[in-house]
Amino acid sequence: MMRRILAWTLCGSLLSPLILLVVLSLARHWTWPRLLPAELQARQWQDLIADASTLGPIVLRSLGIGTGVAILATALGFFSSRSVARHPRQGPLLALLHLPFAVSPVVLGVSLLYLFLRLHLAGHLAGVMLAHLIFAYAYAVILLSGFWTPKMRALEEMAVSLGAQRWQLWLEVLMPLARPLLLVCLFQAFMISWFDYALTLLIGDGQISTLTVALYQYFSSGDIRLAATCALLLLAPPLLALLMNQRLLSATVVTALEAHGG
Amino acid sequence: MADSPAPLLRVENIHVRLGGELILREVSFDLAPHTTLSVIGASGCGKTTLLRAIAGLIDAERGRVLLGNENVESLAPNRRGMVYLNQEPLLFPHLNLFDNVAFGLRLRRFDDSAIRERVRELLSQLELEGLELRRPDELSGGQRQRVAFGRALAVDPALLLLDEPFSNLDADTRKSMQEVFKRLAHERGTAAVFVTHDLKEAMRVGDRFALIRAGRVYTYRDRDEFCADPASGVDREAAFWRDFSKTGSGEPG
Repeated sequence: MMRRILAWTLCGSLLSPLILLVVLSLARHWTWPRLLPAELQARQWQDLIADASTLGPIVLRSLGIGTGVAILATALGFFSSRSVARHPRQGPLLALLHLPFAVSPVVLGVSLLYLFLRLHLAGHLAGVMLAHLIFAYAYAVILLSGFWTPKMRALEEMAVSLGAQRWQLWLEVLMPLARPLLLVCLFQAFMISWFDYALTLLIGDGQISTLTVALYQYFSSGDIRLAATCALLLLAPPLLALLMNQRLLSATVVTALEAHGG
Repeated sequence: MADSPAPLLRVENIHVRLGGELILREVSFDLAPHTTLSVIGASGCGKTTLLRAIAGLIDAERGRVLLGNENVESLAPNRRGMVYLNQEPLLFPHLNLFDNVAFGLRLRRFDDSAIRERVRELLSQLELEGLELRRPDELSGGQRQRVAFGRALAVDPALLLLDEPFSNLDADTRKSMQEVFKRLAHERGTAAVFVTHDLKEAMRVGDRFALIRAGRVYTYRDRDEFCADPASGVDREAAFWRDFSKTGSGEPG
């Protein structure tokens, strides 16, 4: 019984913000002290759809930036993580990679803006992607460095001894073995970019708007219900990917356990 | 082994240093074709280092490794024509048994029918028929080691380098694997360097013998010379069993 109560409490606490967003996106005249809105309507959704000509390109741009950053961060991170994991100074290198997460994104964003203005990258899509990539790449290297266990090294040597060339080693052995972890990394790197606000706002210099930035603009304009509707739109791709990745996440845990179990 | 007119493997004055420490010094020996050299030595004496240096997995400080007449010292491990077998079977976990054995053949772009034929022949010789679709985690320790052995033989290596490949197996499986190794190496004419710390295993699988002590490799003309050397431990082992049979106790060598 206790276990069931705990499970429901956990589910409730995780789902309640989502439920609140759904109710907000459909609410009309939800005034204090009412627990539930007096009336439901689809106006916010209709407004968003009506604004498709503005929001559509923003959604597509956000998807493009997120996908590009995820692919680049995962690919570069996979190759780099091998060197980092096998470097004699692996500890300090990993600590250095944690640095972007230890510094406030606003502080990092201001520093980057200073640099990117001189490189003519501020206000450009490439600049925003590069800024996202700094975080996503560091995350990818940290996540993927756990893949390079001594057993993985022994498997590499086995493949090489059997005649594998460098590209065959990556294609036939390392990438298939890392596949679950790579997919998780792609997903997480996408999320880093997709939900970023401060860096996009600063480096984008008002020229590059993403869905997260648009959400804050709706919120600032005081239209909480439209903001909630936009937030649901923002949550849709990650939730979809998460549902698709459920099996994958458990497979990753098994793979990691096997690798560490030798 | 200096009497062999045309050695398959020639190791000349190899020095290997790891982490600043000289592990192997002035190592030189020859190996004739179709021969298994048993290399025995205590744990940590440099047996694995010797094999890894021959395979090209670690760099020798100086010296040469010749396979046939070719100096392979400058060649990458994948181009040396040798397969190094670890203590662990190291099967690729994402591949089934068939694909593991076929791995090296696929790298060499053999056509599918040739791969099927060669893998099936090996699986039959290794008594692994019917298990083709099993994943490595669905096989026993002995079966995994057979697959690893088959995977190595599939590419017809000029030389097999075996690093205590049966040390993690139980006594019965180990003995059966030693027999499988002897039979297949003989049938296929494969030369091998087989390192072990187990004297009985060395005596069972080897045609020639070598001993590693303090980073140096001592080779013997034949089995008799090896057995006669007190350093080989054969005398101590024999004395143990002699005493044991008389008194029920003894001091193992």
